[in-house]
Amino acid sequence: MTQASTVKDVAALARLTISEHDIENVTAEFNQTLALFDALQSVDTNGLAPMVNPCTANQPLRTDSVATLVGREELMKNAPSKAENYFLVPRVID
Amino acid sequence: MPPAFKSIATLSQELKNGEVSSRQLVEQAVARIDTLNPELNAVVCLEADQALANADQADAKRAKGEHSPLLGIPMLHKDIFCTQGMRTTCGSKMLADFVPPYDATVVQKLKDAGMINLGKCNMDEFAMGSSNETSVFGACKNPWDVTRVPGGSSGGSAVAVASGMVPFATGTDTGGSIRQPAALCGITGLKPTYGRVSRYGMIAFASSMDQAGPMAHSAQDCALVLNAMAGHDPLDSTCDNTPVPNYHQTLDHPITGLRIGVPKEFFSSHLNTEVATAIDTAVRELERAGATVKEVSLPSTDLAVSTYYVIAPAEASANLSRYDGVRYGYRCEAPSDLQDLYVRSRTEGFGAEVKRRILVGTFTLSAASYDQYFMKAQQVRRLITQEYDSVLNEVDVIAGPAAPNTAFALNDTSKSITDMYMEDVFTIGANLAGLPAISLPAGLVNGLPVGLQLIGQRFGEAQLLNVAHQFQSRTDWHTRRPTLEAVR
Repeated sequence: MTQASTVKDVAALARLTISEHDIENVTAEFNQTLALFDALQSVDTNGLAPMVNPCTANQPLRTDSVATLVGREELMKNAPSKAENYFLVPRVID
Repeated sequence: MPPAFKSIATLSQELKNGEVSSRQLVEQAVARIDTLNPELNAVVCLEADQALANADQADAKRAKGEHSPLLGIPMLHKDIFCTQGMRTTCGSKMLADFVPPYDATVVQKLKDAGMINLGKCNMDEFAMGSSNETSVFGACKNPWDVTRVPGGSSGGSAVAVASGMVPFATGTDTGGSIRQPAALCGITGLKPTYGRVSRYGMIAFASSMDQAGPMAHSAQDCALVLNAMAGHDPLDSTCDNTPVPNYHQTLDHPITGLRIGVPKEFFSSHLNTEVATAIDTAVRELERAGATVKEVSLPSTDLAVSTYYVIAPAEASANLSRYDGVRYGYRCEAPSDLQDLYVRSRTEGFGAEVKRRILVGTFTLSAASYDQYFMKAQQVRRLITQEYDSVLNEVDVIAGPAAPNTAFALNDTSKSITDMYMEDVFTIGANLAGLPAISLPAGLVNGLPVGLQLIGQRFGEAQLLNVAHQFQSRTDWHTRRPTLEAVR
């Protein structure tokens, strides 16, 4: 059984916070989901290579050449905060 | 009959004959969306003026003698596809104001084929859900019974087609998100082989399983659109360059001698008995059409749910780490420092189900849990794929239900999170193995649609569409329409 403190630590890794109000419920749901995974532990997987994706051998890569798909100005339009060609964030260096 | 209840093939012929214009089709579609959407909540962005301008261009092309089958046909995109200059939210507050600077390849291809996009369809947030209830826009409702869910995550697309707003909409399917809503709304939906359709510009959920596909009334319409959607894309390294056949040309092939396998594990305690009866009747119809039917076994069917809910959230936790409030997407008010900006933007911008899956994915990818969960799930994924491959060496097509139940009630608090995950039990296998699969209308239980699922060989979309079309040539389930008096 995963404790609330562990769930909080995981949330911190994921850059999320869980309020004190929600932590009990979130922890219960977290454990409910992990319980669903218990069935995997009893499966004999000796000799089975992990399957990362279902790709076949027919995925040719394009030539690695420099190209502009979308211009900087267009890309910057969605920035929540910007100045000139830069994304603005809170000060990180005093 | 609203134009959108007609097949694409019929509308295309009417356009060619000059019986109707693309402008008229778009005007009628917009009027129907205006009438039905306040109740159904299927469409979250409607760009009528742009669509009408594009329709006029299509009409002008027809006037000059151009007659490609999709030219001037109205449609909608699931709000997961980037549409240049048109807001793309993925059903999330995180992307509430995101206007993509480019088109997804699927969007571009359908545009090139002459289809007229009217806007965007509701969906579960970041495609995480089986009921369309996790959308920031609120739940979308099933036109067969507005107290019930349409399924998810492509719920808005399914409802838009089922209610006759448009004859076609795009969907995406990571664990059943085309097939399950298609089943619950009584339409036809195809998840192609992984790599058949480009994922470029399709907002990522679980990259090793995400796949785009068509949602329409019939297999014939899905074939017409898949012709335009499929094919290699240099902008997606997982997109396959296997040649694309003409899916429409092989629809009429007889299915005499086709070998169908029915997995005994699909008829388990998870399956509603009335749905089971409808599926059995549908399989017998294929037998009467000349197919041979035998029982097969996919012993790890139940394990697929556990496997998927390790792998998909793990991939999602990595994919969604890009939403940090810096370059695009939601940013919290007045962040005190950079960490605060990251944490509050993500905590405020994501909904509960998305955060639930990010947490699980972060946990299973952490050093202490990686081997126990993520590595193990990838090994079981191999096992499940081997089982499917083995069965598909014995039979041409696997048949069974798309969903264990018909549409369930909105806001069903009796359903736990894992109950909801079990709604995907029959669809997930095809995603894990990367196989094509289709759901087609195969009956009504208490007035609600049932979907027959057919799973095929890799790149066997032509065969699936052929079998589905033969079924639809012998039955009329795909022509049944919801009674919409209640929402008019």
